[in-house]
Amino acid sequence: MNYLNSIVKSVAVMGLLGVALASSAFAQDGFPAKDITFVVQAAAGGASDRTSRAIAAEMEKDLGVSVIVENRPGATGTVAFAHVAEQPADGYTIGFGPVEFAIAEHLGYDFDRADYTYLGQVMNSPVVLAVPANSPYNTLAEFIEASKTKEMSVSNSGAASSFAATTFTLARMTQAKLVGVPFDGGAPAVAAALGNHVDAVTAGAGETATAFADGSLKVLAIFADEEHPKFPGVQTAKAQGYDLTFGAWGGVYGPAGIPDDAKAILEESIKKAASSQTFLDAITPAGILPVYRSGDEWKAFVDAEAARYAEVLAE
Amino acid sequence: MNALLDGMLAVFEPSVMLCLGVGVLVGMLVGMFPGVTATMAVALASGFTMTLEPVQGLAVLLTIYVAANFGDRIPSILINTPGTPASIATTFDGYPMAKNGQAGLALIVSALVSAIGIMASMVLFAGASVPLAQLALRFGPSEMFAVVILAMTIMISISSKSITKGLLAGVIGLFIATVGRDPITGDARFTFGVRELNGGLDFIAVIIGLFGIAELFDQLLTHREHKIKPISALGRWWPTKSEYKRIAKPTLVSGMVGLVVGIIPGAGGDIAGLLGWDRAKAASQTKASFGKGNIEGVAAADTASSATLGGSLTTTMALGIPGDSVMAVMIGSMIVWGIQPGPSLFVNQPELVVTITAIMVLATIITLAINLIRMPMMVKLLDLPKHYIWATVLVFCVVGTYATTNNLFTVTVMLCFGVVGVILKRSGIPAGPIVLGLILGPLAESNLRRSLLIDGPAGLINKPISAVLIALAVIAVVIAISAPLMARRRAKASDPVAHSTS
Repeated sequence: MNYLNSIVKSVAVMGLLGVALASSAFAQDGFPAKDITFVVQAAAGGASDRTSRAIAAEMEKDLGVSVIVENRPGATGTVAFAHVAEQPADGYTIGFGPVEFAIAEHLGYDFDRADYTYLGQVMNSPVVLAVPANSPYNTLAEFIEASKTKEMSVSNSGAASSFAATTFTLARMTQAKLVGVPFDGGAPAVAAALGNHVDAVTAGAGETATAFADGSLKVLAIFADEEHPKFPGVQTAKAQGYDLTFGAWGGVYGPAGIPDDAKAILEESIKKAASSQTFLDAITPAGILPVYRSGDEWKAFVDAEAARYAEVLAE
Repeated sequence: MNALLDGMLAVFEPSVMLCLGVGVLVGMLVGMFPGVTATMAVALASGFTMTLEPVQGLAVLLTIYVAANFGDRIPSILINTPGTPASIATTFDGYPMAKNGQAGLALIVSALVSAIGIMASMVLFAGASVPLAQLALRFGPSEMFAVVILAMTIMISISSKSITKGLLAGVIGLFIATVGRDPITGDARFTFGVRELNGGLDFIAVIIGLFGIAELFDQLLTHREHKIKPISALGRWWPTKSEYKRIAKPTLVSGMVGLVVGIIPGAGGDIAGLLGWDRAKAASQTKASFGKGNIEGVAAADTASSATLGGSLTTTMALGIPGDSVMAVMIGSMIVWGIQPGPSLFVNQPELVVTITAIMVLATIITLAINLIRMPMMVKLLDLPKHYIWATVLVFCVVGTYATTNNLFTVTVMLCFGVVGVILKRSGIPAGPIVLGLILGPLAESNLRRSLLIDGPAGLINKPISAVLIALAVIAVVIAISAPLMARRRAKASDPVAHSTS
């Protein structure tokens, strides 16, 4: 694998040399004049990786230079974030910023939201609440009302996740007795609900879609602004009278201080990529929704989310 | 019948066979590289297979999964370094066998029983996936806790020389496992303000340190004494008739263990290998030589951990819930190809189930054949002067460990545990129970606490599965404590002098 990596690298170096020769011949000075590196905080194969590769492929077509995806997993993504922050702020190193941007600082990681340039949000994977097929509850209201008298266990993918935060915030909003049970990942949390070990589960849309489709889980609510194509007939929590949205969102960022002209070009290219059909085809099968916010809107959103998680995680 | 034919034919396409070949090559390479796991290889390959046809893609990914499982055993046996956690138990008897000049035999037996394990598990996958998967769902937090407690009783049997030192090692392992984040509340524990410790000590770095690096340092310190026999004395390759007979029973016993453990989500090849080794030891007539190079130990460890492959595939395909980390990556790829794992898959696309089975079986046969043919060449490498070998091993371990987290801190952790490993070795504290504590500690803790959150203490004993398993664990401990006492009493009773004086 590592020698594969080195082959890839040597090919990349040869490519770079070629580009360097070509560009010196034409004396280009506009952005971008060389390849862009796109750093992903998760291993290849997951939702972050899939989203990033789809965006990178579209940007490549748009900008006319290669956008090379590099996976640097580890430490809740902070390995990758720190790496990007250390790179020159010339727009040639960008990365995928997941919901951990709003969470990492509350967990004691060495991470500061201010160290980055925000280029645009591209996706959101909303949280859903589901109960086993044989559960007596059919709406979110029924479930919440019942849990005011009886303690209910709700599994989630981990203590510091947007899923745990959903359960916690919902309980506080409604005075319901919901006990969050953190598991080691989304799949075991869903399995606990399938096996009737817990009363409900909060998980991502992608993780619950299979069980919903074959009828082994009833999805009671989706914590997003709109209904989800994977869950026909399931209302949002808001429509059921509980104004609460939570999701695993993500966008593209770079080191702080990218010059305005390069930033504008990148933002425009990301916006185009996020609305392209190829991007939609790559993410929707996994239950991820395309949600676009411009760089500044996204930055404000990340700050607001960080404030919300600060409150939740302080408990 | 049609589904059977269609599914088989889909595999025998030239393009699919080519993909299979690629998978075998990548998988074997990955397996032999300590620290580089099948999960990492499959994750990387999934990037390239995105655009392939589903059957071609499955051929690449499943074959990597199978071939890595074989390759895994080679460094365990030859250099005492598990290629991945799944082959930890292989080191118990594999490396001592190699030191006794039976490396060839250990490698061949390991390859043979790995194939048997995978084949047996694929029979279950093809025949009974849906009912088995429903059974797997019954394992909630309290049942998992009970399984883990039962597995912890192995600490007694793998501390071969002194039970006290073995248990001490187990406690060290349990302690190391508490470093990092609390699994339920997310608070930092024993990190002493070191940010890199937030995520806990990397499991792979610790085992490579304790096994491979510790061995390397030990050789470095003793190379002038010429005490250690070079492993290049390979001995004969093929087992004799009586050896085949000897490994039959451990293979059967531990195969059963592996099949059951494989189906339980969250318990993988590492736990299966250890449990299988322990059960085979209990059933063996040559208990005393387990851990000192017993061929039955190698057979047991490798059958059990290989037999989990079909089980993981079962929960993955029949429930849509990944059975292990490789499967978690694979589900992502399958969704892109438009394959939706779940109970309906077996009804709507039976030909795909046949295809998957055929790929797994073919991959096993091809990998086994290559392993048997090229093994002598592989092992010739060990004829090189020792300083070349160990230098290469060190480089491999460093690169492999670095690749797991992309962080030099992990390499430091590995080297530190190498030093710790040497010290422990010199003081007679075995590494096996440490690893056991490290694997089982977090599982026991998190599942116990989940179970307490859900049902309170009563949940552990009022569920039939967990009640039975905990009772078995208690019995195992009672037997382990009372057996030596009983033996002593019996020895006394049969001793005429002691008899007359009493």
